[in-house]
Amino acid sequence: MPEEIAIVAVAQTPARRRYADSEPSMLMELTNRLLAETGLPRSAVDFTIAGSCDYLSGLPFAFVSNVDGFGAWPPVYESHLEMDGAWALFEAWVRLQMGDIDIALVAGSGKSSPGSPREIFPLQTDPYVAAPLGLDPVSVAGLQARALLDAGLATERDFAEVVSRSRRSGLSNPNAQVKKDVAVDALLKEPYYASPLRKHDLPPISDGAAAVLIARGKRARELTKRPVWIRGIDHRIDSHHLGLRDLTDSPSCRIAAKGVDLHGGPIDVAELCVRYSPEEIVLRRALELAPGTQINPSGGPLCGHPVMATGLVRVIEVAQRIREGSARRGVAHAASGPALQQNLLCVLEAS
Amino acid sequence: MSCESSTPRVSDGVHRDRLRRMSSLPPVRYQLEYPYTRTTGPIVGAFLTALRDGKLLGIRCGSRVLCPPLEYDPASGETLAPDFVEVGPGGTILSWTWIAEPSRKHPFAKPFAFALIRPDGADTAICHAVAASGPEALHTGGRVRTQYRAERRGAITDLYFAPEAEAESQYIPPGKGAVEMTEHLISLEFSEPLSPHRERYARALLDGKFIGQRSPASGKVYLPSKGYDPIERVQMSERDDVVVADTGTVVAYTVITPVQYYGQKETEPYIRASVLLDGADQPLGQQDIRTIPLAEFRSGLRVRAVWKSRAERSVVDVDNRWGGTGAVIERWEPTGEPDVSFEKIREHNW
Repeated sequence: MPEEIAIVAVAQTPARRRYADSEPSMLMELTNRLLAETGLPRSAVDFTIAGSCDYLSGLPFAFVSNVDGFGAWPPVYESHLEMDGAWALFEAWVRLQMGDIDIALVAGSGKSSPGSPREIFPLQTDPYVAAPLGLDPVSVAGLQARALLDAGLATERDFAEVVSRSRRSGLSNPNAQVKKDVAVDALLKEPYYASPLRKHDLPPISDGAAAVLIARGKRARELTKRPVWIRGIDHRIDSHHLGLRDLTDSPSCRIAAKGVDLHGGPIDVAELCVRYSPEEIVLRRALELAPGTQINPSGGPLCGHPVMATGLVRVIEVAQRIREGSARRGVAHAASGPALQQNLLCVLEAS
Repeated sequence: MSCESSTPRVSDGVHRDRLRRMSSLPPVRYQLEYPYTRTTGPIVGAFLTALRDGKLLGIRCGSRVLCPPLEYDPASGETLAPDFVEVGPGGTILSWTWIAEPSRKHPFAKPFAFALIRPDGADTAICHAVAASGPEALHTGGRVRTQYRAERRGAITDLYFAPEAEAESQYIPPGKGAVEMTEHLISLEFSEPLSPHRERYARALLDGKFIGQRSPASGKVYLPSKGYDPIERVQMSERDDVVVADTGTVVAYTVITPVQYYGQKETEPYIRASVLLDGADQPLGQQDIRTIPLAEFRSGLRVRAVWKSRAERSVVDVDNRWGGTGAVIERWEPTGEPDVSFEKIREHNW
């Protein structure tokens, strides 16, 4: 049996088009909020781990500056991933399984505003046959969208419905960057951008950060009356060669769903990393979510996409609903790479 | 209206706002470049060599042919023998997207399509660009044909596709030798406004002053400040700004003998020093020393900033990361005061 580990406090910045503050400054604000909420001194945090991307920051070793935000003196035990903060949560969860430490601070942060994400993200792809083409996630999302249409699994109206519902949900999310009540028919009149996708099928370009504090069973119960238990966490990856993938499905999500025993109980809420509207169609099918599951009540990444924090924000959105009592069991999904290449699932549950 | 005064009317909120924006320093622009040179190995190398010579190769994997060729069986991870098959030049579109506004990194500046294309004779698709007259020329199941650039260098960009009806017949003369290396220059551009505290620091440099920030928690003066105290984890504001002296002490230095890497501009050895200004608790790093002979240079040396004339000062190299001192200082010169003892600068000497 894995060690019982719970989320005991969460914090996120609103997603914004541009923050004047630096990334370490955003992380410092979140760290201080988490410590204030739990009443812990910095020295009580045994392990710190962050996800961020030097290519987004435009500076080699930018992640080292971010450590300022967590407080690094006297010297601390910390680690970093060039991945979304949700993967940092995975690593922290694995680390706490060893049983020798109790509390970990997990963060994800990114400022996409200084650079051009569409020029940076091709660097995630194969360096011989894809990256030199500037093959960007928007274009690959367009290929995935067309594959869904051709397979008869979705219509352009379905894509627009995802956008309309998500952006309307964003109206009640104080952290959403893009939010509006817009009808499906109005969306379908917009011109194509990467056909069959229109600009509104894409996420906004965002700056932002997110952080959570997790603790082992006994410590978690001492730190909060409402621990949110991590019942399962798993991440899987599909081939990085698009030609080897069926873009209408997500085999890696299906494997991860088994890994977290997704269907071992009812799922009240699912926060999915839908960066491009067709991804919701793929994820709904792969995760086989029941009709009663509420999907992306926060509006999801279509309302705010602080790259490297977007996945961890999904975890926070589910955790908050469990803490507030509006959900008992939920799943957070994080993704990385073009067309949902990598997927992480985290099942959270009330006490 | 014609006789409106040109004097700024500070009571006019809109006007004042415009003035403030006009007076903002320009955004920081910088470029990040990594010139990658990669060995190609026996499989990718053969594929790229063939592209240079106007041929598209697949590789046998059991009963299937994979294009682009992989070094391994994607199902088992087993190494594949270099058993190549020429595929194409025709192919079938499996999916496509019309790129209305190409990025600077795309293969075409004008609108084009990315498509998944299964070349004739292959069982998998290659993702590549299709040059077409418009989206009407494309449909799933449509036929395309390989096309090659006039100038080829053994890279994936030597190739593109066109709808069969729009493709040209080409003669591609084979090149010499095998493609054993590929070069890929990663070049990204960034632009961001100076953060508020860094803008005040830069403005002070233009005025011939150094501004730091005094931590309300520890009293330590950070220069150039990052806008927070990293030790006490306290955010700072304009209230915490303090002016420090333009005299200080060399607390550490190094002599750099330049290696001629990509982007290197230096040719002769030079000194980089950390200078702890009087009144600051954090040394200014990376100070360029050109006029004090190495034999006379030492930690503990007292120095003074010699400012450029106001008209010559520039802060274009002040950014949100390192801060820098911009092109505002002509040089650092010894003050002639006695050296500061090592004991007093020990904390900063490493």
